[in-house]
Amino acid sequence: MQLHLEGSEELNLPRERVFQLLTDSSFIAKSMPDAQETKVIDESNIEARLKIGMSFLTTHMAVKMKIADRVPSQHARLYVEGAGSGSNMKITSDFDLEGETATKMKWVADAEITGVMAGIGSSILKGFAEKKVKEIFQGINKAMVQAGPGTGPGHI
Amino acid sequence: MEKLFERSIRDASKLTSLTEDDHDLFQRVDRACDELLIPEFEKYMERRYNDQVPEVLKKYHLMGIPISKKYGGEGARPLVHSLAIERFGQLGLGVVTFVDVHQSLGSLTIQEWGNEEQKQRYLTRAATGEIVLAYALTEPEAGSDPGSLKTQFRKDGSDYYLTGSKYLISNGSVADRLIVFAYPEGQTKGMTAFLVDAKEKGFAVDMKLEEKMGLFTSDTAMLSFDGLRVPREDIIGEEGRGLAVAYSALLNGRIGIASGCLGVMEDCLNQVKERTSSRMQHGKAIGKHQLIQRHIARISSNLESSRWLVYQAALKKEDYENNKSDLGLRTEADRISAVAKYVASKAAFDSADSAVQCFGGFGYSILSPVAKHLLDTRVARIYEGTDEVMELKIASTVLGKEFEAYR
Repeated sequence: MQLHLEGSEELNLPRERVFQLLTDSSFIAKSMPDAQETKVIDESNIEARLKIGMSFLTTHMAVKMKIADRVPSQHARLYVEGAGSGSNMKITSDFDLEGETATKMKWVADAEITGVMAGIGSSILKGFAEKKVKEIFQGINKAMVQAGPGTGPGHI
Repeated sequence: MEKLFERSIRDASKLTSLTEDDHDLFQRVDRACDELLIPEFEKYMERRYNDQVPEVLKKYHLMGIPISKKYGGEGARPLVHSLAIERFGQLGLGVVTFVDVHQSLGSLTIQEWGNEEQKQRYLTRAATGEIVLAYALTEPEAGSDPGSLKTQFRKDGSDYYLTGSKYLISNGSVADRLIVFAYPEGQTKGMTAFLVDAKEKGFAVDMKLEEKMGLFTSDTAMLSFDGLRVPREDIIGEEGRGLAVAYSALLNGRIGIASGCLGVMEDCLNQVKERTSSRMQHGKAIGKHQLIQRHIARISSNLESSRWLVYQAALKKEDYENNKSDLGLRTEADRISAVAKYVASKAAFDSADSAVQCFGGFGYSILSPVAKHLLDTRVARIYEGTDEVMELKIASTVLGKEFEAYR
């Protein structure tokens, strides 16, 4: 099953800083909601174990994430591949940044989901995914605010 | 995913002209349905009444869809109301039941039978959602035969006191006002309809009926009245004409349920299209297997054969509303709404069964989007007139009144 999501977020930090944090694997690993375990492999790769709950369906997934296609202060791509509890997912997300003192982050995500999770149907799944994405960005936003406008890595 | 709603609106507009107000209403219905999608799914999983339905309907000014604008409603004609309920049906019959009971059985009954004072006092509040309505006819020992009701009333001055119980009442425990039917004490004639206040002393929710086969997000209750006082001004229609009130309400209710069943079939078709296009077995999408295509053809045919019938019933109701002195139009509206409800409810149940089959093992789980339709549509063949009562009604219109089976 294919899912397409897109949206934009306003972040109260300079674009360079948002880009720096967004492409920092340690920062991403720490600001991920639903993560039970995370392991930063290198500056681009993360492995994690996620517990994703959708009403009565709770899925435990082992996921691999890769930060790629970095265009400093402008663009990055995140690949996510996961499997577990009878479901598989592959997500490609593109992030584009605009603005100077505050940053507008436009994002597009295309997901391919198979197995048990796909059985729920795209309309319900999309509703949950939108809810989840909102939580993820709230988490990232909060973590970015905590990390502050400094230039170093995001320690949160 | 395609909602199949725009196509319905397009097709309906070929039958009759739709106004800008109608299109605005459809957009609000569509937005409300989008907002209710996840809460309805979650509540279904929890097997609990979806208390967000009235809240979201209020937000989009949809509590009074068929209520006249004079009383704060949307003034939607029967076909427009039917299309709106069709869209709610895509979420499931739980939402449809709330809407149909509050609007078709509740509000429309007050609009058709109430006096001006009652309309000002209750219809205006029902239209905004300040009060929720229910319709209490069925009893533990009186289902298809409302003539055998046991609930009775005693008259004392200008007040009436009700004693008895009502069973399987949708919106029963969440309603503020309920249309309750009762006979005069010791009699089996002179049934009267009362608009009962749920806060009045003597009113009790005996049991919330949660052990249902489906329809979990709709509230169902058993109620009892122990000398419950109703003032004379809360009689709906004339004293003694309750049976006519009850039957006219059911005419509206049947079109509503039939419309909701269309939405169910649309959702089944959508879900099955998605599932059978993406689920791979034996090296190809299961939709490429001809035996699966047979199920898809069945759902699609069920939908098409019911759709025009339901729209036709709504249009016949409009004809009658535009010329209420013509009893022939009423009889025809009654007949065709029975046919529409009979055909659409069976078609929806059959479609849900086919949809579950296409989903295979996962279809048996209520996590799948189609299992709930199978569980819910079963009741559509029972409530607001069983299949058998519809058959008797339809057959007697063919054979003539002297052949009415329950005479």
